Amino acid sequence: MTAPEASPTPPALAAEHLGLTYPGPRGRPAVAILHDVSVAVPRGAALTVVGPSGSGKSSLLRCFNRLEEPTTGSVRFHGRDVRSLDPLTLRRRVALVAQTPVLFEGSVRDNLRTHPPDAEVDLSERRLRATLDEVGLDAELLDRDGGTLSGGERQRVALARALLADPEVLLLDEPTSALDPPNAARVVETVSALRAARSLTVVAVTHQPELVRQLSGRLLYLVRGAVQADEAVEAMAGDPGDSRLRAFLAGRSGVAGEVAAS
Amino acid sequence: MSGGPGVLDLSVWQVGLAVLLVGLVILVSVRETLGLERDLVLATARAVGRLQRPLPGRYGIAAAALTGSTALVLAYAIGVVVRVHPWYEPQYVIPLAGMILGNAMNAAALAGDRLQADLRTRAGEIEARLALGFAGREALQPMVRAACRAAMIPTVNGMMTVGLVQLPGMMTGQILAGSAPLVAIEYQLVVICLLAGATALASVAFVRLAAARYLTRAHQFRRYLLLD
Repeated sequence: MTAPEASPTPPALAAEHLGLTYPGPRGRPAVAILHDVSVAVPRGAALTVVGPSGSGKSSLLRCFNRLEEPTTGSVRFHGRDVRSLDPLTLRRRVALVAQTPVLFEGSVRDNLRTHPPDAEVDLSERRLRATLDEVGLDAELLDRDGGTLSGGERQRVALARALLADPEVLLLDEPTSALDPPNAARVVETVSALRAARSLTVVAVTHQPELVRQLSGRLLYLVRGAVQADEAVEAMAGDPGDSRLRAFLAGRSGVAGEVAAS
Repeated sequence: MSGGPGVLDLSVWQVGLAVLLVGLVILVSVRETLGLERDLVLATARAVGRLQRPLPGRYGIAAAALTGSTALVLAYAIGVVVRVHPWYEPQYVIPLAGMILGNAMNAAALAGDRLQADLRTRAGEIEARLALGFAGREALQPMVRAACRAAMIPTVNGMMTVGLVQLPGMMTGQILAGSAPLVAIEYQLVVICLLAGATALASVAFVRLAAARYLTRAHQFRRYLLLD
């Protein structure tokens, strides 16, 4: 397998001039979601995506695991165009945890065991317990009905379900937005610990300052589907270089101050 | 003749009573049929017309599912079960085709309506399955199953109550037209089974074809097709 476009160490994930447009309903113009987005996430690194709602953050994540088909440009996974890969295999290696975690009907155990029959995921009782432990949940939860869990627990079960497939990349869509501060803080800790323990590459849409700081890496600022700024979080210690990003962060309670202060 | 007027009176009264009773029975039957027709029209309108974003290719899908299921079941009925000679004898073909197609349309409309509603409300579930690496067909399977079940409910209910709660229009009509009740019942049993087959075939075919429209070859859910 020679990939002529691959550099010696291609990034784990890269978007190249990505554009996404939904065909409009009959007689209405097409809806532009993403416009010329280029970004690279090296292996084991992190990327945080921020921006106002409707700026295409979730759509960008969905392009990374090919739930969405870009209209223009391409997504590369370890240097290879994702269109040349089996989408089902890609999604097991690039796991996505949605903003509103979806639990299927049945118990937590049923949920954790929901994997494609051909995925060769170790779903032994021991593994399920270990994975629940990894996301900070008690193994007693296995027999609970998914519908009785709290928001934070649901988020963790969805995370554990994704982790069972042993992904190399974790795409997190606002993992803390639906949680109260203590639960949000615990999810931030969990994600940081997981990233270190599993050498995960993480792309997170989040406005949680603590998560931005913990993930470090780069910060991508999207506005109306276009990249407004792409900066290293560390470089922002004093002040984000981009005035619009600075203004955006300043408008969010504490984010600018906390990220800048880190 | 002293009996003449009596017989005539009785006859008029009998006819009146008979007409009243037959009218009631027919009314019930017709009403049920009309109810189904209304359901059919409503469901079709909802599945096809009311949506701001109608499914592309819906007419082709409906035509394929309905023609296929009706032709198959009708051919089986005419050629294998009833064995009509010649096969195109209108006395048999027209009522059988009408009933089979009518029920198949009803089933397809119910199935399509339910499928589209479920795809909307359970889009998150579909994408969660896709994100875990399930194939598109597997991810839509719960919604496909629910839609087919919903489409079969009227038929299954009909099968459970036939002869006990309701006398189907066809059987009633046949008895009134002079058939021996046992023959009418035999036909009714045949028709019930044919309709079960037709509704099952039509709903499964329609739902499978429609569900495939919401998926791409890369196992993506075309949820923008559901956007208003």
